[in-house]
Amino acid sequence: MRINKTILTIGLPALLMFALLAFFRQSGNAVEAPKAPPAPVAVDSTKCIAQTEYMRANHMKVLYEWRNSSVREGNRVFIAQNGSRFQKSLKTCLGCHATNRLFCFNCHMYANVRPKCWNCHLSPMETP
Amino acid sequence: MNKERRDFIRKTGLGVLAGICASSGLLPKFSLEETVLPAWDEKPVPGKIRWGMLIDTRKCLNECSECVAKCHFVHNVPDFGNRKDEVKWIWKSSYEHVFPTSTQQFRTSDVLLRSYIAMCNHCADAPCTRACPTEATFKRWDGIVSMDYHRCIGCRFCMAACPYGSRSFNWRDPREGIKLASVDYPTREQGVVEKCNFCSDRLVRGLIPACAESCPQKAFTFGDLNDPKSDIRALLESNNTMQRKPELGTKPSVFYII
Repeated sequence: MRINKTILTIGLPALLMFALLAFFRQSGNAVEAPKAPPAPVAVDSTKCIAQTEYMRANHMKVLYEWRNSSVREGNRVFIAQNGSRFQKSLKTCLGCHATNRLFCFNCHMYANVRPKCWNCHLSPMETP
Repeated sequence: MNKERRDFIRKTGLGVLAGICASSGLLPKFSLEETVLPAWDEKPVPGKIRWGMLIDTRKCLNECSECVAKCHFVHNVPDFGNRKDEVKWIWKSSYEHVFPTSTQQFRTSDVLLRSYIAMCNHCADAPCTRACPTEATFKRWDGIVSMDYHRCIGCRFCMAACPYGSRSFNWRDPREGIKLASVDYPTREQGVVEKCNFCSDRLVRGLIPACAESCPQKAFTFGDLNDPKSDIRALLESNNTMQRKPELGTKPSVFYII
């Protein structure tokens, strides 16, 4: 009797949980979800993708490379030297750097460089 | 509180715990936290996927243009309110305009009066990609005819080459024509051609195209044409479908149930 009771007390709630899970299961498949595994890579905006000195001199090359490989080849993941992974997107940079609204402009104005990025992309000044 | 009740409560607690553990372990789909697989790790294999769309025009309501509004909002497509500067990614038109080379004679009045969704067909053999001198328009690995706006020089050869009128030119700065801007997608600039991108920006995030998602009638079916088990292939096999101007040999990836 004692064993029966133990099985019952453990088994019943377990059964209940299964039944509940089945109940909460997502229903309806009217629209088919894309089959390819398009899991996004989390944008890690807490650290930089490379050394500040390197980025200061070569950010345009990095952006050029990112743009070509992500748009044209679909290679969207950048693996930094220390092994951390980033999504190749302007948003990855601006996720952090946009906190300083003048981040791009200060230098570009001083150097008299006028890149056309902000003709289409939202600049740090315009991001909400 | 007597001993038996304490035992009962303790065992019930253990049972609940065991239930949660077992269910999350056995059924990974319902596990407590969704795991994100590191997809898009490597370069995608060209030709493995071919995205396609099937539009059930019988379900489409004449007065509704939810898909157009949603698409144009999501992608910051400008609206200047006149035909000359018009930019469109998806639009509604009459039977004779969407299927000009299909038979017009003795169609039922229902078919002739209905409005039809038109968008870029993402042709398997796209004439626009061959016309582009800078390869700004190109065929992607997943069948999408994509545009690299950075490369577009605004020569409009692609507009002349496209037999479906799916491309628009930005005669004016598009930012002037955007009333409500979406921050998730860039705009274009003056002097650049633009077109439907089959929501490649949303596919990356695991979402289906905006038009398919917004349709209240569920008239859109999006899927992989190369996958024999996909919903779109099942519908293509069970229904008689049409493509726009199939005689041109562009092999459109957008299909219509009339």
